[in-house]
Amino acid sequence: MTVSRRAFLSGSLGAAALLGLGACSSPNSNAGTGQTSAGQSSTGSGSTKSVGKPTGTLTFAFWGGSAGETAGFTYAKKQFEAANPGTTINLKVVPYDGFFSGIDRGIQAGNAPDIFRVDYTTIGKYSKNGVLLDVSPYFTNAEIDQFLPALWDAIKYQSVPYGVPHQTDTTCVVYSKKAFETAGITSVPTSLDSAWTWDEFSAVAQKLQSTLPHNKFPFAYDWTQAGAFRWLSWLYQAGGTLLTPDLSKCALPSSAGTKALEYTQSFFAKKWVPANSTIKTSTYSDNFFLSQTVPMTFVGDFLVPELADPANGYKGGDWGATFMPRDVAAASDLGGNAIVALKNTKNPDLAAAFLKFLVSEDIMKYFCEQAVELPTLKTLVNEQLNYAFRPDVVKVCAQQATTISDTIVKECTIAGFADINTALEDQLELAFHGQSAPATLDAIATKVNQAVGS
Amino acid sequence: MPRGTSYKPRRRGAYTHGQAAAASLFLLPNLALVGLFLLVPLVLAFVISTQKLGSLGSPQYIGIDNFITLFRDTIFWETVWNTAVFTIFTVPVGMVIGLGVALLLNSVLPGRTLYRSIIFLPLVISGVATGVLGSWMFDQYNGFFNKFLHAIGITGPAWQSDGKWAMISLILVTLWQRVGFDMLIYLAGLQGISPDLLEAAKIDGSSAWQRLRHVTVPLLGPSTFFLLIMNIIYSFQVFDTVWALTRGGPDFSTTTVVTYAYREAFDDHGPQQLGYGAAVGVFIYLITLAITVIQWRFSRTRDEAG
Repeated sequence: MTVSRRAFLSGSLGAAALLGLGACSSPNSNAGTGQTSAGQSSTGSGSTKSVGKPTGTLTFAFWGGSAGETAGFTYAKKQFEAANPGTTINLKVVPYDGFFSGIDRGIQAGNAPDIFRVDYTTIGKYSKNGVLLDVSPYFTNAEIDQFLPALWDAIKYQSVPYGVPHQTDTTCVVYSKKAFETAGITSVPTSLDSAWTWDEFSAVAQKLQSTLPHNKFPFAYDWTQAGAFRWLSWLYQAGGTLLTPDLSKCALPSSAGTKALEYTQSFFAKKWVPANSTIKTSTYSDNFFLSQTVPMTFVGDFLVPELADPANGYKGGDWGATFMPRDVAAASDLGGNAIVALKNTKNPDLAAAFLKFLVSEDIMKYFCEQAVELPTLKTLVNEQLNYAFRPDVVKVCAQQATTISDTIVKECTIAGFADINTALEDQLELAFHGQSAPATLDAIATKVNQAVGS
Repeated sequence: MPRGTSYKPRRRGAYTHGQAAAASLFLLPNLALVGLFLLVPLVLAFVISTQKLGSLGSPQYIGIDNFITLFRDTIFWETVWNTAVFTIFTVPVGMVIGLGVALLLNSVLPGRTLYRSIIFLPLVISGVATGVLGSWMFDQYNGFFNKFLHAIGITGPAWQSDGKWAMISLILVTLWQRVGFDMLIYLAGLQGISPDLLEAAKIDGSSAWQRLRHVTVPLLGPSTFFLLIMNIIYSFQVFDTVWALTRGGPDFSTTTVVTYAYREAFDDHGPQQLGYGAAVGVFIYLITLAITVIQWRFSRTRDEAG
């Protein structure tokens, strides 16, 4: 199955930011061809450190979020070793829970893996503490231009790139076609421009509710636990921001903040979401959909394989996908991960070579197809990818990803974001159980200001 | 000693020296392990609690600032209250149920070995697995309990979105897990009670309840003391079941002191303030120590009286 993203990316909101400057031939496209890609620059301006043929052994730690992700990394390792004789990349698959604690202990003890995976909202902690390898000597300007600008910015700290943006993902809305038909919802947005407004989304929720029994609910949202920051999508949609433009202070309380919070609080008051679809729960939004407690849910595209799995996936009939609602603006969350190397790795040239290899065109394409995730190279954004599951859903997510603005990227990748996310977890949980919007926003502001040192 | 026999005492120094050397050799491995894995971390926890220390970067000495912050932290005191409630409802209730089951299974009962095994089985399951099982059972929309209640016409409680019910679900899961341990210790205690004593009490005309109240229960004193100490320590340190079952929610209603310490210090997406987490750990240590000392003194007095 193939899907072209060119048509729907062109002209959509944020496309300019994503598409960036003019296209160049990809210097990273020689992966899997038998030629070494290590540390070599083929085109473009700027200086690239010449590292020759790398040799040696490094360890790459990652969490296998799905079988597709593990397959993608295993494929990359094999291809890299074949293309670079004398190199060995030891893969270390670690559970996601406790992954970064393990990395931190390793860094403190001096035995951390040379290369590891890190999500965009966590990378700031490592770059701020100066433990990551500055990859700027290894990338020419032309090579940098190959990446979607917003995602290249996501791996930078004080203008220095620490790692490579490997893939991205974002939230979209999936729904049961049968439930929509029963509720008389005949039209579902097929483009970003026609995405539901908040009012239209509310009408959809009400229609669904009217046809559901008391123990079923219209939808669930993916703000559970560490996903609390996904609430910010509502804030951005309302036209607000979390931080001031210079990122020095919290921009809350604000009218947009109040609007977003009161709207999301109303989901609980109106019983549009299950009462336990909050932050501190062990039930995620995809669980509610799979158990058919809700006929519509907000999920990241990385969960598409789970939902589409013939054996354990969704059993409620045919399901489709559409866009996040929009208000003043369209917005979604910055998901996905970078790959970084340690500054004190024993073989920085080899580490940089492997990072470059991971984001080479063929390797990234294979990974994204297997893991059902979105690429970060412009050339792949414009190319047909053979997704293993539901390319129609990935198409929606890819288009939704264009609503991840520079502001969202900057705010979600600051060094103290973990503290901010904790504050959002605590305060949104309280807000969804009755704490007033002003009290919640004040408390968030206090904690955010502490986190950014204001 | 017969008069006239010359008594030549063993040389005191040689006797004690040799014994001490042998004892030291035997004790050395344990002392090394205790020192390395218990005392050193304990001292380090006290040291780290006086530092501002993130998961990366260098420590900064801040004296007792972490403790001042801790005592002003309203969430922390809420977690202390939650832990106290959890302890009060799990320790005595669990011990009473454990004693009851032990009494039942200590008698001649067909298949009692099987029953003992079934009741003990949850204890060998990890706390995380127990918590996950609990989250399935107490899922307020799709869990076993509410579906069962629905089948008999009762609307089940909001196990996950109501703080009180969430705490009850946590207590029930914990009791399910720990009653087997209480039963096991009490069974061992019961089998150490001489039947002659109970027989004598029966001949003296005491009823079954009187024999239990005035003979069995007092003689189970050491078992009760052991269980009380172990259960209180366990309850104060409960983490895995809570984390898997409720994540400390809704709000902070099931957040215990240890889950709070974990979240502050070790959660990958949390503040990762190791110094502050260590301060919480020191608090738990001191409270547990105080309770143990009080119980120890109480128990010794009672033993002497008995």
